[in-house]
Amino acid sequence: MKLLDKYSRLNITATILTFVIGSLTFYFLLNYILVRELDERLQAEQDEVTAYVRTHNALPDVVKTKDQYTTYEPAISAAKTEFQTRKDTGREAENIREIHFTTAVAGRYYMVTVGTPLEETEALQKVIIIVTLAMVAAILLIGFLINRVVIRRLWQPFYTTIERVQQYSITEQQAPAAAPTDIDEFALLNRTIQEMMERIQQDYHSLKKFTGQAAHEMQTPLAIIRMRLDALLQQEELAEKSAVNIAEIEQAVSRLSRLHQSLLLLTKVENRQFVLNEPVSLDKIVADKCAEYVDIAMAKGITIRTDIQPLQLQFHQQLAEITVSNLLSNAVKYNQPGGQVELVLHGSLRVSNTSDRPALDGARLFKRFYRDSVATEGTGLGLSLVKQICDLAGYTITYEFANGRHDFIINFRDNISDFLQN
Amino acid sequence: MKILIVEDEPVLNKSIVDYLSSQQYLCETVSNYRDALDKTECYHYDCIVLDLMLPDGDGLRLLQALKKNGKTDGVIIISAKADVEDKITGLSLGADDYLGKPFHLPELSVRVAAIIRRRTQQGNNLVQFEEITVDAQARAVTINGTELMLTPKEYELLLYFIVNKNRVLSKNTIAAHMWGDDMDIADNYDFIYAHIKNLRKKLVQAGADDYIQSVYGMGYKFAHR
Repeated sequence: MKLLDKYSRLNITATILTFVIGSLTFYFLLNYILVRELDERLQAEQDEVTAYVRTHNALPDVVKTKDQYTTYEPAISAAKTEFQTRKDTGREAENIREIHFTTAVAGRYYMVTVGTPLEETEALQKVIIIVTLAMVAAILLIGFLINRVVIRRLWQPFYTTIERVQQYSITEQQAPAAAPTDIDEFALLNRTIQEMMERIQQDYHSLKKFTGQAAHEMQTPLAIIRMRLDALLQQEELAEKSAVNIAEIEQAVSRLSRLHQSLLLLTKVENRQFVLNEPVSLDKIVADKCAEYVDIAMAKGITIRTDIQPLQLQFHQQLAEITVSNLLSNAVKYNQPGGQVELVLHGSLRVSNTSDRPALDGARLFKRFYRDSVATEGTGLGLSLVKQICDLAGYTITYEFANGRHDFIINFRDNISDFLQN
Repeated sequence: MKILIVEDEPVLNKSIVDYLSSQQYLCETVSNYRDALDKTECYHYDCIVLDLMLPDGDGLRLLQALKKNGKTDGVIIISAKADVEDKITGLSLGADDYLGKPFHLPELSVRVAAIIRRRTQQGNNLVQFEEITVDAQARAVTINGTELMLTPKEYELLLYFIVNKNRVLSKNTIAAHMWGDDMDIADNYDFIYAHIKNLRKKLVQAGADDYIQSVYGMGYKFAHR
């Protein structure tokens, strides 16, 4: 529910309630005052009758008018004066206010009743109900108009701010400036968001700087190890004795270097430091990568079969290459001797390979440093990186296992339709 | 051939100098931007090996200075910042090549040799080793004047061997040069063996000496018997 609707609902309920209570109070109060006034008039009538009886020792003549009537009835004893409202059973069926009192004339008691109709108060009741309804209707109408026109305009800065936050990208150098507003709450909101953006941006840039520096600091020692190893290799008589050791150190250095590069790349992908706006011919990349891996595959007796249709994506060249390369490298590396790799690019990319390994754990497959129990080589980051890249681009990657074949399928469809629409 | 090495890390600097000196290059070395600028203003180098992160400034500024002074020294950037953007920036400022750390020294040597060939012997890109002549521009190999047909991979391998002659080259280094450093197939170097076997056979059949020696457990060496 919108804040405006919620507020309106509350407001309208409160308004109606206030009016109803107010009107009721008003009505009863007025009624009470008017009846009191009538009662005073009736009392005056009683005084007149009593005075007349005292002086003349006879009842005054009955004068019946539209507004007032008097009746006398013989009574047994003196009774207390009392007022009463009763419904007239006559033609107009109106309420009547009466005073009953007894007076003694020549030793006999008479019950005197003086009555007057209550039509004024009934008219008043009607007027009050009509006015109340009219005012409630007017308030609702005015409230509705204010909400539709004025409040929407009043809230405009809020929506502007929301839009600004939505369009905010951390890779921008500067946080976008807020639209000025003279409403304190919105100004506070803008100021807070601005401060937050600047803080995030600062953190982001220092992190970026840090990863860059860390890369430099780590690559330099790696470079030294690699070069010293090369120097060691040249001392042949020494190298021959420790050939296995040197070769293993060299492989470990390569692996460490790759691991480090993958981690850096993964961090950059997660930080969304790549802008995916390059036109990429995926068919060309797949074909190129297959050509690169042919030698390695052939050495293991693996055949690579391709079925490629042209596919243009709005993507990132380097990331596209890494994605294809990682999937293909896995497909070759974890294959069995004499096995097959199949790449099918028909709107989606399917990389399929034979392997004597069992199905992978689908739930943990794309986690960092996941390896199945048999795998020893590899950084354990390849699939995680592919998954992150797919997430970044809005692609979906799925894994299937059937009949000894491991399939990785990337679906580009959403992105393609976006691309066509643009 | 004179080479200037600009690298602030002493061990790296020395390793590069040692390796390139053994390849008959004359190496001079500096470890900061100021000295590098002084040197390049006074002398001409066939190739400058340039690290970007120097204690007193960005190595890219040296590229700008060279350009401003109309210098034609070849430049290869060696940097830990192997971002694509950094590469593009470096190359657009006039560098000839870009090598990310950690690199293999034979790889650096091959790239330096390529830069020097392009810079100094325009139109005459010949690399010679005894009876073997490699025309790097036409990508053609002749032995005693007779042309030898090689596959692109075999050609690449031969050029790599000749430039890094008399050095033991590990399988890992060779694989990184031929198939890229990020090819994560460290468990099996059989595919290198197949290419080397074929190249060796072709060379011997064409009348060249058998220069490719296998070094036990390590890799290969291209040298006189």
